[in-house]
Amino acid sequence: MAPRPEVVEQRDWTGIAIKALSPIVSVLLAVLISSVIIAVFGKDPIAAFSALIRGSFGSMNYIGETFLSAVPLMFTGLAVAYGFRTGLFNIGAEGQLFMGGLAGAYLGVLLGGMSVFIALPLIIVAGALAGAAWAFIPAILKAKVGAHEVITTMMFGYIARYIVSWLVTGPLKAPGAIPQTSLIGPGAVLPRIVAVFPGLALGRAHMGLFIAAGCAVLMWFILKYTTTGYESRAVGFNPLAAENGGVSIASTTVKALCISGALAGLGGVVEVLGVQGRIFDTFSSGFGFTGIAVALLAKNNPIAVIPAAILFGALSAGSSLMQLEADVPIKVISIIQALIIFFVATEPFVSKWIQRRRKEVTAHAE
Amino acid sequence: MLSDVLNPDLFASAIRVATPLALAAIGGTICERSGVVNIALEGMMLIGAFFGTAATLALQGTAVGPLAAVWIGLVSAVVAGALFSLIHAFASIDLRMEQVVSGTALNILALGLTGFLMESFYGHPGSTDAVRQTLPQVFNFPVATAGSGILGTIWTWINTLLFSYTPIAYMAIAIALIGQWALYRTRWGVRLRALGEHPRAADTVGINVRRGRYIAVAISGALGGLAGANLALEQVGTFTENMTNGRGFIALAANIFGRWTPLGSYLAALLFGFTDALQIKLQLVSSAISVPPQFFLMLPYVLTVVVLAGVMGRAVGPAEVGKPYEKE
Repeated sequence: MAPRPEVVEQRDWTGIAIKALSPIVSVLLAVLISSVIIAVFGKDPIAAFSALIRGSFGSMNYIGETFLSAVPLMFTGLAVAYGFRTGLFNIGAEGQLFMGGLAGAYLGVLLGGMSVFIALPLIIVAGALAGAAWAFIPAILKAKVGAHEVITTMMFGYIARYIVSWLVTGPLKAPGAIPQTSLIGPGAVLPRIVAVFPGLALGRAHMGLFIAAGCAVLMWFILKYTTTGYESRAVGFNPLAAENGGVSIASTTVKALCISGALAGLGGVVEVLGVQGRIFDTFSSGFGFTGIAVALLAKNNPIAVIPAAILFGALSAGSSLMQLEADVPIKVISIIQALIIFFVATEPFVSKWIQRRRKEVTAHAE
Repeated sequence: MLSDVLNPDLFASAIRVATPLALAAIGGTICERSGVVNIALEGMMLIGAFFGTAATLALQGTAVGPLAAVWIGLVSAVVAGALFSLIHAFASIDLRMEQVVSGTALNILALGLTGFLMESFYGHPGSTDAVRQTLPQVFNFPVATAGSGILGTIWTWINTLLFSYTPIAYMAIAIALIGQWALYRTRWGVRLRALGEHPRAADTVGINVRRGRYIAVAISGALGGLAGANLALEQVGTFTENMTNGRGFIALAANIFGRWTPLGSYLAALLFGFTDALQIKLQLVSSAISVPPQFFLMLPYVLTVVVLAGVMGRAVGPAEVGKPYEKE
């Protein structure tokens, strides 16, 4: 017997509504639970979150700081999302970001004397390539011997950090006591938004914001309209069916992890050219790991990565004012992140459960 | 110079370094054998290390005394690890969440929670206060006196290799042996393996898949907690932020390299432990050969990749690992 059309339609709408609402509900639940934790420790959660909001959106300068923190997260969020779309978990985006940053810091000094129009594009592309290269070995290992990318990319993350740590204390160390590279030349500096659009006084926020947004649109286009994107999605959706359909799992895996690595590498090079001007040991505050939260919150949709990254950027930008005014340790941000991941990831279960309930209710009514 | 590196201390320190890796790896073995992937071992170790230290610090000044306090700290670490792992069990078994996602969330949560609690309890980031007494060495035999000849040397080797460890190092060896026996020689072991290979068949013959997986995840959490206790209460004597530094992931590789068996996991962890111990020794003498310390520090991570690259052949895990089971 054919199902009655209005029932089908109703169910679909519920599904769409749950999908659309779940990120918002997840964020609210995470805020609620962390408020309880803050209150348990005798601090005022309302003061804390009001400081957090003022510290991230309270003025043009604060908004600029939010954008500044959001840019690397957009890149790593896109990187992780592209992996997830292909069924791969690039947990080591952090390492690829370090390699991108390293390429940026090295070439920024080397080519910094050239014109911006030549140096900038060259260095940015090199950063992407460095990130892709760092993902290449885990990708090959995954494709050829099935070595789990969660462990290999993670290990490559540690190796990257030690390589950077060695270079900034040794061969690439700038004169002086601090272990860091020399400042990049003027031709390699990614300009601030305010320098290009004088009307937008967004403090330290730089043009990397637009590069990141452009990458999001590009990734959306690749996934939707190109063969590479189609193959990625096919392998992510059902690898065996994809292979039966003539898609090579191995080459799609390698391509996808390298694209993912390139996006993370871009995050590193843009951070060096736009913010730090050099690389050092602690130049990333876990951007690669926060990128996982960003991708999950965005449900791996590249366009949705933009607001998701801005949200996490706001958390990180506002956290210092929160600590200053409400005396709440910055670490609470990690707790909020973890909770958001949890709640977003329960969405399929919750939506199935709600739909089953609805079906039961409908069946009961008939 | 060779005797600076190749001495009984090297092998003893290999066992010490291997201990937390082995415990976490065996935890990973048991968890994955039941069909649940656990990349949150890192977080479970961190939680164990923190709560073990916190309990010790809270009790050492009371009538309990510093020695009993550190033992209670050990128990607290195990309990905390097991309780924390129940979140992963609930998420992956009942909510059927993507298990690597739940594991990642737990790792971030553990990092945030321990950092947050540390600052709230002790008022400063970085590390907690040091415990007054770490878990003491089990045996304390007299060392050979200088100039006691070949017998003295032999005794030094035996004493260092067999009798120079703290309690959890011995526990890890016992757990590896008991675990190996339990997995292959007991009803519990057969059932556990069935859960990961063919849960539907297990269900059909009346095994409670949900309960079996819950227990396996909790055991892995307890072992992760014990591994954390080893780091904090035996090796360092304090909790420092992110003190696990990727050991949970190396442990997972050791589990794979050990072919999803407790004894194999221990031996694989020993290989990592040996590399790390060698790395530390080499750093001490490296001023003479001028190799940057970072190259030694990255050795365990490089070795992990090499091992996973399948230099020892392709590893095949439990058939249904990572897949939630839905009763029909």
